[in-house]
Amino acid sequence: MPLQDVLDELLTSSRTGPLITAVRHFEARPAVYAPFPSSLDPRLVEALRGRGIQQLYSHQARAFETVAKGQHLVVVTPTASGKTLCYNLPVLQALVQQPESRVLYLFPTKALAQDQLAELTELAKSLPDMRMYTYDGDTPQDARRSVRARANLVLTNPDMLHSGILPHHTKWVNLFQNLRYVVIDELHAYRGVFGSHLANVLRRLTRICRHYGSAPQFIMASATIANPRELAERLTGESVSEVGESGAPTGEKLFLCYNPPVINPELGIRAPYLGEAAGLAIRFLKEKVATIVFCQSRLSTEVVLASVKQGVEDRTGDAGIVRGYRGGYLPLRRREVEQGLRSGEVLGVVATSALELGIDIGHLDAAVLAGYPGTIASMWQQAGRAGRRSGGSVAVMVATSAPMDQYLATHPDYLFGAPPEHARVNPENPFILVNHLKCAAFELPFATAETFGGEVQAHLQALEAEGLLHRAGQQFHWTSETYPADHVSLRTVTSDNFLVIDTTARDEKQIKRRQIIAEVDWKSAFAMVYPKAIYMVEGEPFEVQELSYREDEEKVAYVKKVVVDYFTDAISAKGVWILQRFSRQETPGLVAEQGEVLVAEKVVGFKKIKMGTLENVGAGEVELPQQEMQTTAAWLTVAPALLAEISSHRDELVDGLRALTRLLHSLAPIFLLCDIRDIGAWLGDGSPYAEGKVVTREIMRAQLVQGDEFTPTIYLYDNQPGGIGLAERIFEVLPDLLARGLEVLQTCACPAGCPSCVGPVNEVGRRAKPIALALLQRLVARR
Amino acid sequence: MAQTPSLSDLSQVIRRLEAKSRAPAPFRRTGSLEDLLGGSVEETDKGQVLCVRRRFVAGHCHGRQPLDAARAMAPQPLALLARRGEPPKGPRLLYLDTETTGLAGGTGTYAFLVGVGFFDGDAFEVRQYFMRDLDDEPALLAALDPLLREVDGLVTYNGAGFDLPLLETRFVLARRRWPGAIPHLDLLPAARRLWSARLSDCRLVTVELHALGFERVGDLPGALIPSVYFEYLRRKAPGELPRVFEHNRHDVLSLAALTGWVADALDRAPVAELGPDELSGLGRLWELVDPDRGEACYRMALERGLDSPARERLLARLAWGEKRRARWEASHTLWEAAARGGRGFDPRPWEEMAKIHEHRLRDFARAHSVVTEALERARLHRASEIVLSALVYRLERLTRRLGGLAAGS
Repeated sequence: MPLQDVLDELLTSSRTGPLITAVRHFEARPAVYAPFPSSLDPRLVEALRGRGIQQLYSHQARAFETVAKGQHLVVVTPTASGKTLCYNLPVLQALVQQPESRVLYLFPTKALAQDQLAELTELAKSLPDMRMYTYDGDTPQDARRSVRARANLVLTNPDMLHSGILPHHTKWVNLFQNLRYVVIDELHAYRGVFGSHLANVLRRLTRICRHYGSAPQFIMASATIANPRELAERLTGESVSEVGESGAPTGEKLFLCYNPPVINPELGIRAPYLGEAAGLAIRFLKEKVATIVFCQSRLSTEVVLASVKQGVEDRTGDAGIVRGYRGGYLPLRRREVEQGLRSGEVLGVVATSALELGIDIGHLDAAVLAGYPGTIASMWQQAGRAGRRSGGSVAVMVATSAPMDQYLATHPDYLFGAPPEHARVNPENPFILVNHLKCAAFELPFATAETFGGEVQAHLQALEAEGLLHRAGQQFHWTSETYPADHVSLRTVTSDNFLVIDTTARDEKQIKRRQIIAEVDWKSAFAMVYPKAIYMVEGEPFEVQELSYREDEEKVAYVKKVVVDYFTDAISAKGVWILQRFSRQETPGLVAEQGEVLVAEKVVGFKKIKMGTLENVGAGEVELPQQEMQTTAAWLTVAPALLAEISSHRDELVDGLRALTRLLHSLAPIFLLCDIRDIGAWLGDGSPYAEGKVVTREIMRAQLVQGDEFTPTIYLYDNQPGGIGLAERIFEVLPDLLARGLEVLQTCACPAGCPSCVGPVNEVGRRAKPIALALLQRLVARR
Repeated sequence: MAQTPSLSDLSQVIRRLEAKSRAPAPFRRTGSLEDLLGGSVEETDKGQVLCVRRRFVAGHCHGRQPLDAARAMAPQPLALLARRGEPPKGPRLLYLDTETTGLAGGTGTYAFLVGVGFFDGDAFEVRQYFMRDLDDEPALLAALDPLLREVDGLVTYNGAGFDLPLLETRFVLARRRWPGAIPHLDLLPAARRLWSARLSDCRLVTVELHALGFERVGDLPGALIPSVYFEYLRRKAPGELPRVFEHNRHDVLSLAALTGWVADALDRAPVAELGPDELSGLGRLWELVDPDRGEACYRMALERGLDSPARERLLARLAWGEKRRARWEASHTLWEAAARGGRGFDPRPWEEMAKIHEHRLRDFARAHSVVTEALERARLHRASEIVLSALVYRLERLTRRLGGLAAGS
C-alpha cells in the first residue's frame, strides 16, 4: 500500500526518522447504528433509502429524539461524522408534516450555506413542496422578494441576519410567525468577538419572534471544544441538551509530529517549516496519496502551493493535480476542486483552514499541518480531514519555531491528552451590547422594564440621554435618522475600519480607479498601515503613502505598489495602567490580580528589515495619534524579596521578566480558544492610571531599572475594547500557565534563548533565559 | 466585566461610538400645538391624533396650473402612469406624501406626518395627520386606514420606492392589516422620462418650478425635516414644525397639479406647445401602449429641434421602429441621420446600416464602404479596442464576401 510505504520510509530513514517526535496510533472504530425513529415520516425514510442510507448512526437518532422532545440541542462530533443529518432530519420532518412551518439556517460563511443548500436539495428532492433558498449579500434584489414570500427554509449568515433581515422584519412576517427551528452550524466559530456579537443578534431574533408569537427551537452543531454546551447556552440564553459520542465509523489513523531539524545550534534556528511541510506533501503525492496541506496564512498557502506544484512537476498554473483552496473562492471553483478530488484528477489541496472547506470535499488519505493551527480543537479538525470510512490515513503536524509548536512537538502526552480549549464569549461587553441595543430599539421599541440578556435599564437611559432614544408612553423609541446596523460590524468591537486603497490601480482602459484592496480594523491600523509602512496583500508589497483618519470621514490608507527587498516593523510606545481591581490572589512570592486597565499605544516609528537576512537596514519616524482602549487584564507582580534572591542587578531582572512576559503570552492560547493576537502583553510598572505617558520598550526598561521603586508588573490583557472574557480565564489558569512556562524553559535545548522559548538571544539578552528560569523555579515550586 | 457599569461610564461608551453630543435646551411652550398649526385633535378608536385640514377651490392655481385638471382625467393617460399597468378603477384618487424620521427605511423609521389630498365636490381638501409623540402612531394609522380603503387609487412621487413600503411596515408593526393591492400611480418615473434630460434633477421641487411655475419661498430643505421633529420631541417646543407642515402641504398640492399637467399633456400629445424633450418623454410613455402615437410624438420632438445626444437617441428609436416593421430603407435613413449627427462616435447606427446593406439589400460593396467610413471615424475619435476590433472583424468579413463574389462571378 503506497501510504504505508511512504510512512515506513519516513519513520526509518536516517534523515527524517529522528525528526518525528511523536507517533500515535488510533484504532479503527466500527459504526454504531440505530434504526430509523418510529416517528420518522415515511416519505423521509424513502428519501434516505434513496440515498443509500438504511439506518442512522447512534448520535443522529439521539439528536432526532432530543429535538422531538422540544429541547434545544447542541450536537458535538468530530469532522464529517454525519452531523448535518442531525439537524436536517428534524427540520425536514417538520416541513413535511406541518407545511406552514418555517426554518432558518445560519452558517458563518456564504460558501458553507451554498454547500448545505446543495446537500439539502439532494436529500429533499423527492419530498413535496420544499422551497429552500439562500438569502445573503449575493442574492439579487428581485430574487429577495421572492425568497421572502415563498421560502419555507432560509439559509443565511449572521451578518445578513443582523443588517438585512432583522431590521426589516415586517417583510418577513410569515417566517417569524411560524419559525419552528433555528439551525446554527459550526457553533465553535462563534467565540470571542464574533460570538459576543452573535449572542446579541440572537437576543434580537428571539425578541422579534416573541413579538410575532413564535418560540423557535435551536438546533446547533459544534466541533469538539471543551465547553460546547456552555457556549450554546451563552449564545442562545436558553438551557441546551448535548449529544456527543459519534456513532460514525472511522478508519485506522496515524498521527505524527514532525520537528524540522536545527540548522544553527548556537542561535537555535531550525529549517523553515514551510519547506519541510511541502517536502512531506510531495512525498505523499508522488505515491498518489491524496493529500491536503493546511497553512496558517494566505501567503504561506501560496508559497507551499508553488513549491508542491514544482515538486510534482505540475506546471499547470491554477489547475492540475495540486490545487489551492482558499476562503473567497467562488462556488464554481470550489466545485471544480471537489469534483476533481472525487474523480481523482485532483490529488492534492493546499488550504488555509478547515472551516473554509465545503462539506463535500470528501476525505483524503493524508493531512499535513504546516504549523500548529493555534488550538487543539482546530488541530483535530484539520487532522480529521484525512481518513476514509475504512482504510488507513495519516496526519502529520510540522512544528514551527514558535514556543507553542515546540512545546507540543516535544510533549506528545500533552498534545494527545490535552482537552480542547474553552470557547469564551462576552455578550455583555459594553461596546458590543450598546450597539445591539440600538439595533434592537430600531427593530421594535423597548418597553421600559424590558430585559435584553440581562438588565439594561442603565444602558437605555444612557442612550436616551444621548438623544438616540426617546421615551413615549411606556416605550423607548429610536429617534435618529441613521440605520444602526450599518455601523456595526460583527467581526470587530468597534467598527471603524480602514480601507486600503491602491492609488496605482488602473483598469483595462488605463484609467485611474479607486481600488480597495484590503480592510484593516481600527485597532491594528496604526501599527500596520502607518505612513511609509510596507503592507502585504496576497504576497505583493505596497507602500503606504498617506493615512487619512479624520473624525467624520471615511478612514483610508492610500498605498502604491512597490518593489522592495525589505519589510517594515512598527515601533510603538505603550502604557498599561490599572483602572479597577476585581480579584486578587496572593501566593508566596507572587500577587496576581484581575480587573480593568487602560491600554494606550502610539506608533512612533518603524524599522526596515531586509527580507531573507532579517538585518536592520533602516528606520523611520511616524507621527500618529495615541490610541486608548479600556479592557480587561490579568497582571502579576513578583515580590521584591523573591527578585532580590535571584539577583541584585535590576537590568538582568528586567530582561528576565520581559522574557517571562513573552513566554507566558505565547503559551496562554493553550488554555483559550483564541489567536495569540487576541491577547496583548506588556511589562510595566504596576502604577494606577494617572495620565501616564506611553513609552517604548527600551525606555520602559530604563525606567524600571533606574526608578526609585522597583515594581515590575506583567500584564496580559484582552486585545479588544471592553474585553471578551480572555483575561478572566488567564487569571483562573495562572498556576498552570506558569507550570507550562517552567517546563518549556527546562526542556529547551538552546543555550541562552531562541525563538522557541524566550526569544532570540540577541534580542532578549544573554541573562534573560536563566533569570526567567530561576523565577519560574521559585514561583512554581512554592505552590 | 462583572459589575453593572455606571451611567457615566456608559455615556462615555456611547459618546465614543457616536462622536456627537446634544445638550437639551430649556423647555418653553406658548399656546397649544394644534392652534399654532391651525388644526385640531381628532378622536380615533386608537386614541387621539392631530389633524390639520385645508380646503382649496377646485380651480385653485398652484403656480400656473389649476388643480382641477387632475379631477377630470381621461382613463387612458392614467393607465400609462400606473405602476405595473393596473389603472385605478374609478375617479377617486388620494394624493399622498409622508414626512419621516429618516431615509433609511426599515422598522426604525417613522412617518410622523402623513399628508393626503383629494377632491371633494367643488373643493380640494388637504389633510395632514401628525404624531404629537411617537405613541400617537396607532391613532395616526387608524385615521389613515379608512381613507386608504375608500379610494380607487393612490398617487405619490416615488411612493413605490419609499412612502408606501414605509407605511406598510408601520401598519404591520402596529398589527394592522395593510390595505394591500391599491392601484398606485407614481409620478416619478414619468417625470424622469419627461424632464431628466432637461433639468438638473427630478426632485419634486425642481419639476414643479419648471412645469407648474410654482416657486417655494423659504422652503425647509427636506434633509432637515427629521432633525426638526427630533428637536420638537425632545424639547416639547414646536420649533420649525410649522415649516414642515407647509413643506408637506406644498408637496401634496404639487403632486395633484403635476398629475393634472401630465395627464393633460398625455391626452393631447403630440401638440406643438410642448417642448421637444417633453414630447420625447411623452413618446416614451405612449410607445408602450400605442406605438403609432409614440412615434408621432417622436417626430414632432425632432421637428421642434432636439439637442444631441437626445436627438440621436430618438432617431435610433425611430429606426428600431421601422426595422421592426421591416421598412429597411426608412430605417436606414434614420440610422444614417443618427450616425452622422452628434459629436462623438457611436458604433451602433453604423453597424445597423452595414447590416441592412449586407443582409437585407444584399449590397456588400455599400456595406463595405459604410464600415470603412465607420472605422475611420472610430479611429479619429479614439474608440476603445473592443469597438475597433468589432469593426475590423466586420470589415474583414465583408472583404472576404466581396472577394468571394468576385472570384465566383
